[in-house]
Amino acid sequence: MLNVSICVGSACHMKGSKEVIAKLKELINAHGLQGRVLLNGSFCTGNCEYAVCVVIDDTVFSVRPETTEEFFNNEILPRVS
Amino acid sequence: MNITTEMASRSLNHVGEILCGDRVQFVHRKDSDILVLADGMGSGVRANMLSTLTSQIFGKMLLEGAALEECVETVVDTLPADPRTGASYSTFTVLQIFHDGRGILFEYENPGCIFIRDGELVHIPRNEQIISGKAINTFRFQAKVGDTFLIMSDGTIHAGLGSLMSFGWPWEEIAAFALRGHVPGQSPLREAVRICDTCNELYGGKPGDDTTVACVHVTNRKQLHLMTGPALDPADDVRMVRAFMSGDRTVRRVVSGGTSASIVSRVLNRPMTVSMDYNDSDLPPEGYIEGIDLVTEGVLTLARVIQILKEYAEPERIGEQFFKKLDEANPASRLARMIIEDCTEIRLYVGTAVNAAYQNPDLPLELGLRKNVTNQLSEALEAIGKKVEREYY
Repeated sequence: MLNVSICVGSACHMKGSKEVIAKLKELINAHGLQGRVLLNGSFCTGNCEYAVCVVIDDTVFSVRPETTEEFFNNEILPRVS
Repeated sequence: MNITTEMASRSLNHVGEILCGDRVQFVHRKDSDILVLADGMGSGVRANMLSTLTSQIFGKMLLEGAALEECVETVVDTLPADPRTGASYSTFTVLQIFHDGRGILFEYENPGCIFIRDGELVHIPRNEQIISGKAINTFRFQAKVGDTFLIMSDGTIHAGLGSLMSFGWPWEEIAAFALRGHVPGQSPLREAVRICDTCNELYGGKPGDDTTVACVHVTNRKQLHLMTGPALDPADDVRMVRAFMSGDRTVRRVVSGGTSASIVSRVLNRPMTVSMDYNDSDLPPEGYIEGIDLVTEGVLTLARVIQILKEYAEPERIGEQFFKKLDEANPASRLARMIIEDCTEIRLYVGTAVNAAYQNPDLPLELGLRKNVTNQLSEALEAIGKKVEREYY
């Protein structure tokens, strides 16, 4: 199972955590990966300048609602296929 | 004994006056809570000045730790008197309830305090003490959880004088009315408003005197600890979390702030999970840490809490709509509900570290101004009669 944590703290929230989460859920469903990718919320990781912070295996990625799909294709898909 | 009080008051101004000649002051001390009601002679600006002077002397001296007896003496000596009649320019009632249960009431020329215990009126005996030539009624007692005190200016007993009620509203009838409307658990404001609004009706909406009703409830202490913001020096994290976790199991604990929540989780060595359920699209969802009653995001949530508390501070303007909002499941409503309905005193543990990333001009909010938010929060809490203490880290 791949754990993907999305920060919902103040700064990330302002930069669109909610949209990023919604888009990731949508993409995971579309690719039928519900059993292989686990999304969870997190609070501040101390990298607010990179909001929205998404963490996979201790690596912090900076994602915006409009780059979510690209992030999914480049970082999530290769890790589960 | 470990008791405290909840206090509220409502006033009507003499018809045509902008300022009220009655003045109520709440004083919260480490050892006790005090309510002062002063009624300045006449109405309007002059009466307001006199009652303000009286209540301020009490307030300032009591806060400095003076004994109530001393304050009464000072006030009686200070108050100017009418040169013709010798009457003081302000009357007053002062009620002090200590957290250990001792109670003292001083009454000077106001209508007698109405005392309700176990669903019955308790007679307060006349026991006049002469202080600087003035007869002050003094009553010492042992307070009990559930005790209710209604303290009034004479505008209440004059209500309707000469029109609806030929002799005004007799004290005995007000007391009986107060008892009929007394429901344990209701807020003191509701009790004060009920009597005051009835006075207004008796006056036909045109009060012939400034009219004030203050209500004091004796309750158990209900403490809330709220931690927000990381300490300036991370070396203080442990000390801050320990202080926040201090107190017994009855203390409610809330962490507001993502970084603060992570610190609590780390120091207590209890994992944190964070919800992805947005039950309010403007607010980040809440988190969970075992043993913490509520974990929320910081500034955005607190800003919303402040907004709710400010609405609550204007009781004449809120309606059912307000309580619907208060009952919502979002973290800000939950915190506001805890504060309004289930707590008498709040201790804020404020971390003063500034999140450098929040200075980023891309962020549309004044996220960096935590101090601003905590100051506003303290003010809003005090405005609704909660005791607030702050510790900075």
